[in-house]
Amino acid sequence: MSTPTSPDTVDPTRAHVDAGRWPARLGPFQVAALLLGLAFLVSLPALRGSGRSLDYGDNLRRFLGQFMPPDFAVSAQAWQALIETGRMAVLATVFAALLALIIAPLAARTVAPAWVVWPARLGLNFVRSIPSLVWALLAVAIVGANPRAGVIALTCYSLGYLGKFFSDAFEAVDTRSADALRAAGAHPVQAFQFGLWPEVKPLIWSHTLWMLEYNVRAGTIIGYVGAGGIGTLLYTYQEFYQWDRFAAVLCFILLVVTVLDLAGARLRAALLGQDPAHRAEPPAAREVRRAKPDRLPG
Amino acid sequence: MNRPAPSSAVADPPHLRIENLSVERGGRVLIRNLSVAVPRGRFIAVIGPSGAGKSTLLETLAGMLPHPAGSITYCCQQRCLHDPSGFRGRVGIVFQQLHLARNATALQNVLAGALSRHPWWRTLAGFPAAEQSLAQRCLDALELGVHRHRLVRRLSGGEQQRVALARALVQQPELILADEPVSQLDASLAARVLALLKDETRRSARTILCVLHDLALVDRFADGVLSLDASRHTGWQWRTAS
Repeated sequence: MSTPTSPDTVDPTRAHVDAGRWPARLGPFQVAALLLGLAFLVSLPALRGSGRSLDYGDNLRRFLGQFMPPDFAVSAQAWQALIETGRMAVLATVFAALLALIIAPLAARTVAPAWVVWPARLGLNFVRSIPSLVWALLAVAIVGANPRAGVIALTCYSLGYLGKFFSDAFEAVDTRSADALRAAGAHPVQAFQFGLWPEVKPLIWSHTLWMLEYNVRAGTIIGYVGAGGIGTLLYTYQEFYQWDRFAAVLCFILLVVTVLDLAGARLRAALLGQDPAHRAEPPAAREVRRAKPDRLPG
Repeated sequence: MNRPAPSSAVADPPHLRIENLSVERGGRVLIRNLSVAVPRGRFIAVIGPSGAGKSTLLETLAGMLPHPAGSITYCCQQRCLHDPSGFRGRVGIVFQQLHLARNATALQNVLAGALSRHPWWRTLAGFPAAEQSLAQRCLDALELGVHRHRLVRRLSGGEQQRVALARALVQQPELILADEPVSQLDASLAARVLALLKDETRRSARTILCVLHDLALVDRFADGVLSLDASRHTGWQWRTAS
């Protein structure tokens, strides 16, 4: 008499056959590696050069030779310009964070209804798709070539990113605490304030610090189009082929960015309660925890 | 706080009446035709093996899960009858997974239990001193007073469990649904915490439904036992303690 089997019963023979087929052996990592390999092959034509016969090594040696030795006689001007860049970055980060705090909950599916979420996300996507240099060009056209244009440009640029990071944070954090407060009779505003906000606050601070570091770096570039800061100095030295002075300014930028990066990483790790060794790349990718509600059965 | 109008009033109704309740999870019926009347001020132990539906029953009683059949009726102190949604705010819940704000302090989490007593704008800038004092007393009673300013994520599992209990006590609910509230405590501390809960049923006429696994604790503290067992046809058995 044959033994009745349920659909859940595992047939070891069948399982062996399935495991032997190659699509069944493809995991997500293999699929990702395959796709990356294909994309790499398709992208190879981008390596084509000018067609002229150039000695790349000699070109590099000659160009870098003009950087040495750096002319640190411009130190005073460089520090002044760096301070201006820092001020631009701080103001832009604060303005963008405040605006993003208003917009981000509207773009988070766990907080706002769908008819609010999608327009808010579209708006943030639009703002984020415009590069900082284009924002700077726009701002210079409106308020003229000065640091105010830099603040406006960096604010707009940061708003797109912080809005995205903050809304991702609102979606990613564990909402069960807020749900529990609602179940105990709390108003939605109270559940947000005492259940969701404490969980999202470290991420908000972490993203904001990361954006500040980023804005200091971005602030060096937008000066190229007249939006103030140390970029204006770089542009001037480049225009006059003063590569030794250019190199000195680069050294100062490197110093400031390195110090900021180290200090920022430690601060962010402290905020998130993490080991500094496991610190931030782009924030949304890694720091955000995906905590799914997982009620246990029975 | 707005309370729903009474649907009816009776002479001396039980605090919680469950009639012909069916509980299901993932399309699987865990409990059939559960009918139990729990008088006010009793400590009821809910026992049973994993997967029997203990947590699901508590979530259903809290109004967090729908039930396909039957009724749940709460009777408030003014003898008005409510369904679970109408009783929200008067039921304190201790979840098995605690559901605390891990980046807030123990005191902030405990204070959050008092939210249903205040309009949302009143708590924007913090809690009244009386609530702070009550929260501190609850933390002290659960031997957590020294940890009040520590972030919950820095506390041990047992300490977090007691924070969740303190949050439910600060709510001063009429009824507490506690899902394995002492599972991470050592035997001595578990007994002290359950004694505190038992005392709550006597002093404040609170009714407590508590999922427990330790039968010695059940025998010691429970006034009634709801035993869930999927091997039975109905999936449950009710008995009052001897």
